[in-house]
Amino acid sequence: MSQFVVNIIHRIELSPEYSQKTTQQGEKDDISSSALTQESVEIFKTQQDLAHANGLKTTIQITYAALFSDECVKLVKDYHDKYGDEIALSLLGLPCQQFRNKYQTKDFCIWMFSEKDKRSIIDDVFSLFKKKFGFYPESTGSYFLDAYTINYIKEKYPSVIAAVATCFEEGPKAYHTTNNSWYTFLDGGPWAPWIPSKINSHCPAMSKDDDSGIVAIPHLSRDVMACFDGNGSNFGTHPQNVLRGMIYEDEEIPYLYNLIDEYRHLEKYNDGLAYNMMFVGPGWMNKAGRWEVPYSFLLKSYRDAMEYYGKLKKEGQLQDLTMAEFARLYRQKKTYGQPECALWKDILYGSQKQYFWYIDPYMRTCLDFNQGGAMIDLRPYVARLPWKVGIGTDHVFDASYPYLIQANYRAGYFTHYAGEGTVKSLKVSYKGEEVDLCLCRTMATYSKVGEDTLVTADPVTVELKGLKVDIRSSFLFKKGQSEIIIKREILNDLHGEEVSFEEYLTGAFGTTEYQSDMSAITLQVKGKSLQKSIRFAYKNRRILLEDATSVSAKIPEIGTLVEMTSDEPLEGYVDEGYAFSPCYRLAYKKKMTKGALITCLKLKKVA
Amino acid sequence: MPQAKKGRLNYRCPSCFMREIDIDMFYDETKKEYYCLRCCYHGTEEEVLKLNEMAKFRYKDINKRVVSFGKDNEPLVLTDHKKGEK
Repeated sequence: MSQFVVNIIHRIELSPEYSQKTTQQGEKDDISSSALTQESVEIFKTQQDLAHANGLKTTIQITYAALFSDECVKLVKDYHDKYGDEIALSLLGLPCQQFRNKYQTKDFCIWMFSEKDKRSIIDDVFSLFKKKFGFYPESTGSYFLDAYTINYIKEKYPSVIAAVATCFEEGPKAYHTTNNSWYTFLDGGPWAPWIPSKINSHCPAMSKDDDSGIVAIPHLSRDVMACFDGNGSNFGTHPQNVLRGMIYEDEEIPYLYNLIDEYRHLEKYNDGLAYNMMFVGPGWMNKAGRWEVPYSFLLKSYRDAMEYYGKLKKEGQLQDLTMAEFARLYRQKKTYGQPECALWKDILYGSQKQYFWYIDPYMRTCLDFNQGGAMIDLRPYVARLPWKVGIGTDHVFDASYPYLIQANYRAGYFTHYAGEGTVKSLKVSYKGEEVDLCLCRTMATYSKVGEDTLVTADPVTVELKGLKVDIRSSFLFKKGQSEIIIKREILNDLHGEEVSFEEYLTGAFGTTEYQSDMSAITLQVKGKSLQKSIRFAYKNRRILLEDATSVSAKIPEIGTLVEMTSDEPLEGYVDEGYAFSPCYRLAYKKKMTKGALITCLKLKKVA
Repeated sequence: MPQAKKGRLNYRCPSCFMREIDIDMFYDETKKEYYCLRCCYHGTEEEVLKLNEMAKFRYKDINKRVVSFGKDNEPLVLTDHKKGEK
């Protein structure tokens, strides 16, 4: 039986982000302004009232600043007593005079502090919570929680079982959207709940030993297509994000209902469990209006959202749980290694574009069926990078999990003057003409083969020198094996004509649009008896074997070996990039009159 | 002229919005217009509102409701959204 769960989270805070800069233009910063704090509490109460009026339970995440207010603490206790709302603790909302006096900083993102400050802040916040409520919370969160922070919390405060721990695809795009000012570089994580690894919180845990002990949820349920293609802050289960994106007409927001419905639909691919999270900080509903709209529309949009969730609940199609309740349910329903999938259709642009997102403890990837099933994103979770973040580490603010392929940051199917872009696809050639399946728009079907996940594209036809070739691509994600078997099958009779298939992966590595030095990469091709390898030196060389069974790139910076194998010895080669095009390219070529080209993409951890 | 201020609402630059940059404009009381610090755009409130509507051109299903997600490999089934309905 399918189940759709929503977590509605409200943050009671006294210095809301956004409000301060937008409502008090022309005034100096004053985080203790009584007008601001009073407005913030009033907005929180409005949000709570709207949820309860629609029969919905909430999780209240109290902030550090609000813990100093007896009025806020009493309010939260009253809501808990009356409605059963969970009292949780947010690591957002740190800024207040007490915090600034003690830590002498305007930093407010827990993952960006030094390890020493993380420990100190967590202890401060948790002990104050205990003092005010008499118990430690079961749920916490921030826009992002790194593994160090989660592990520390779990060790010191084992009551915590749930946390908000990432914003899906919030990274360079969010940075650009804010005119290069918002340093939440968190790309490469899950879009749906997961159990974070102890080593890197982006990665789902592999086993009990790797289990951080919490169930993590993303900050908002985001449109996994619109947020990958564009600004992540416009397309989530956050009514004011939708207004920010100007996705409304006549003060109506059907896109938000469609987004909620598409998340409901995802139960089909996830053993019957679908999930939604709504979390709107008070600053987004400030009385002065925001994103070109007046307060009245900010309020209406939130009311509309609550009414829709409430309607679904009344129809028996939604279960409202607190974060801790959801964490317990998730533990009952999920096992380690169970993938999360999203076969996602465009619900906004009318394009019929379709993505398939897949995540398991070994990888996160995305296939674009508007490009014939091309792989447009690939993250090697198998490496479980111990990527420390915060002051005093190598990554002060960049918490993103590195990619091997990111087609939007790194060109993708190539259309420009010179160079190559990161993508994995198939090229077909015949008598001097060539076509890439990236140019074949199609759609796909999801199915299970035992415990494995199969995604099969509808056949596409390529035409070369008058010869039509019908090709079906399929992708078999092997559970627990860090492998995808990719099959490219000729479906029609070519009457003896021979075409050439080239399965390729153009890769790089990084977390932003810009490539760091690639000199430590080793490229290799292995055959039945020979193997060749070169160290990356930007010389645009090719190593090739006629009977290759493995082509690979070993990337020490991200502890990853990316490899394509073939059971059948084939012409296989690896191209080294050059300074203007810092990529590597792994490929197999096969001449065919019929049958299929089958290769396997493998990701491995290396020292 | 005296210093510029933010306007009645935080109007973002429509030109920057189209390239996915959210940047609030400031209001020049002397010229009675909004202007952007990031690019050369400037215009009246009326023009900004008109351009904001234009910026929605890409959202072809902005006023549609999904009736069914259909089979995996089939297009969505959509209907026109009716005001006030969920």
